[in-house]
Amino acid sequence: MPSGPKAIVSVTGGKGGTGKSFVATNLAVLLSERISNGLVLADLDVEAPNDHILLGVGDPLNVIEIEIFFPKIDYKKCTSCGACVKACDTGAIIMAQGRPPFVFPRLCSGCMACYYVCPEKAIARDGKRVLGYIRTYRVERNGKSFMLVSGTIREGEEHTPPAIVATKRHAMNMSRGLLLVDTGAGTGNGISAAIQYSDLVIAVTEPTPLGLHDLESILKIVSGMGYRSWVVINRHGIGPEEEHVELAKQYGVERIYRIPYSPIVPRAYSRGMPIVEYAPDDPASKALEELARDLAVELEGKLGVAGVVGA
Amino acid sequence: MIMVVRIAFATGSGGLDDEIYSRLGRAPTFTIVDVDEKTGEILNVKVIENPGYTAGSGAGVKAAQALGDEKVQVYAGPTPGPNAYAALQYLGIKVVPLTGYKVRDAVKKVLEMLA
Repeated sequence: MPSGPKAIVSVTGGKGGTGKSFVATNLAVLLSERISNGLVLADLDVEAPNDHILLGVGDPLNVIEIEIFFPKIDYKKCTSCGACVKACDTGAIIMAQGRPPFVFPRLCSGCMACYYVCPEKAIARDGKRVLGYIRTYRVERNGKSFMLVSGTIREGEEHTPPAIVATKRHAMNMSRGLLLVDTGAGTGNGISAAIQYSDLVIAVTEPTPLGLHDLESILKIVSGMGYRSWVVINRHGIGPEEEHVELAKQYGVERIYRIPYSPIVPRAYSRGMPIVEYAPDDPASKALEELARDLAVELEGKLGVAGVVGA
Repeated sequence: MIMVVRIAFATGSGGLDDEIYSRLGRAPTFTIVDVDEKTGEILNVKVIENPGYTAGSGAGVKAAQALGDEKVQVYAGPTPGPNAYAALQYLGIKVVPLTGYKVRDAVKKVLEMLA
């Protein structure tokens, strides 16, 4: 693990729309008040990052490009042998007999297999293309601030994992205290990359059959990777959750939190404000505060005594 | 002199009695037919597996590459997606959008469209 953050907590959940970003942004606001040596929130939902909207922040401090390898072929050296076409797992390279290969940029994942198999060394090692962007924001809250690092892929791009890895690396380099990771939906390679190195994974679900189904998918990944996990049942009260609890037990989930369903939450959303600021006395805010408090206590050892204040 | 044209049809199980498949990149097989351009007589039939059928990504391009390797001149089947279309163009393979026919009956249709 690269040096950088002292602790990494990831918020994920499998299903889209369970409230991953909702939990992550509210936790970030609550924890930034408690953690003195720095908090970085990484939005790794690179297909649709929106933590900056939920937090109501303005323009980013800076924007950098995410570059990945792209085969630049030296047509003087190329003998049209077709080795690169055979090696390409994503079908990004095509070749007509006797003619030089042709690369589809959007299909290329930048894996470099073509570079390694080319017997003529006709593919340059330093070929690059822009896959997406990393935006860094400063989020100011009550005199305290934390950094938000947000990754985005360009429209039409098919490969999210390289962008997720690049954004996460950037956030880790920036972090000296707690790194809070917000992942996208799903359970693919990109999600595994997003939750890698976590000290704790928070899986957000909801009391619906779909929430149950996707909770199992994500808990399989998390337990398979050997990470500790907590579960948050968001929109608590809208349906039965016995099976969710049973499932959590089965996968060794340490704690279960419940955020009651609250009609105030979408109102806070529509104003670009975290619920804990818009309506601090709402039952949903109280539940998030309890989670943040417990998280701060849990991380005290990792972050050092000075790292956590008011826990 | 006999002028032979090699036509590839997107198919399921494959063969002259198979219906044209609804997709190009994810079609299980291609039925490749050599036809006498003048008489429409079927001279040879070959069924190949489509590497795009099981591909993680880039199915259309992989399918096109397989047709290029077989020296196919005409592709007949559902309209290709943008990547597959570009690949077929690069490979010099003509595209005839055609569905709703058995391969055997489609051969005549394709020849009509090419004429």
